[in-house]
Amino acid sequence: MQEFFQLPIFGVFISLIAFAGARKLQKKFNYALLTPVLVAIVFIICFLLIFNIDFEDYNRGGKFISFFLGPSVVALGVFFYEKYEEVKQNLKVFLLSVAVGGISGVLTVIIFLLLLKVPDFIIESLAAKSVTTPIAIEITKLTNGIPEITAGLVIAVGIFGNAFGPFILKKLGIKSKIAIGTALGTAAHGIGTARAFEESKLAGVYSGLAMCVNGIITALITPYLLQLFLGSFP
Amino acid sequence: MLKALAYIFGFLLLGELITYFFEIPIAGNILGMFLIFLALRLKIIKLQNVKPASDKLIKYLVLFFIPYGVGLMVYFEIIADYWLPISVAVIASTVITLYISAIIIEKFGK
Repeated sequence: MQEFFQLPIFGVFISLIAFAGARKLQKKFNYALLTPVLVAIVFIICFLLIFNIDFEDYNRGGKFISFFLGPSVVALGVFFYEKYEEVKQNLKVFLLSVAVGGISGVLTVIIFLLLLKVPDFIIESLAAKSVTTPIAIEITKLTNGIPEITAGLVIAVGIFGNAFGPFILKKLGIKSKIAIGTALGTAAHGIGTARAFEESKLAGVYSGLAMCVNGIITALITPYLLQLFLGSFP
Repeated sequence: MLKALAYIFGFLLLGELITYFFEIPIAGNILGMFLIFLALRLKIIKLQNVKPASDKLIKYLVLFFIPYGVGLMVYFEIIADYWLPISVAVIASTVITLYISAIIIEKFGK
């Protein structure tokens, strides 16, 4: 049976089925923590543990799915071109807000983790925690972190932003919908953007664009900030 | 669709090629994202030539990172030792990021 699970089709099929099932579940219950990606991941992990299947065996198929992360990041460039007209009147302030927010996101997480004496490889894996998973994974590969830790925590950050972001911002006195959208895209990437679209269509567009811009900013600065604070990155 | 996909893959390849030859510390796909935006802006390529593929890729973006999420199981015991400092640092940093970007655009935006 172990040989069967080593066939790439197993990893491909269980990923597709888990994702499709998780989306159905969310449509039925519409509850923030039931976000499809989380449900699918938990389901697959449980399945692998129950049937005693190695992650490496699952990933023989899984890597055919994660291959598409590369082209998806390129596709974000197309999305940005399509939508940036809509933020044109606010462009400078928008870019400033994403840049300052994005940089403080990387800075604060590095400083807090250092203060709490967390090992360097975890800091390297979490520095890019605010940006969309495919970009965060690429950043982590460059900074010698562990991409799987990045992916797990980035998804958790997204879910946190999705579930609590608008509530926290409103409590802190933020009223503008586009401010909420920009903040969600900057701090909580695509999963936060899904929530921004629930606030309003325009908030969603700002959020999606903030996700793209912060992806680029974080990719540019993270290696240097890590080098500055940890001094280990080549 | 095929043509659109070829464009997307082409820009990814171009991004990878540039990072490979110039050894710059930025991922090829992020460079590809920037280049395809530039090509659209400068009207080197047309939106309708790439849109069919890019829309589909973005629609299923979350599906593509499921295998990495599953990979977390391999590192579960390592990060379980640090779950409290990680949660504190990540949540505090996320709230600060949310607030800073929101307050700037709320104060100075139109």
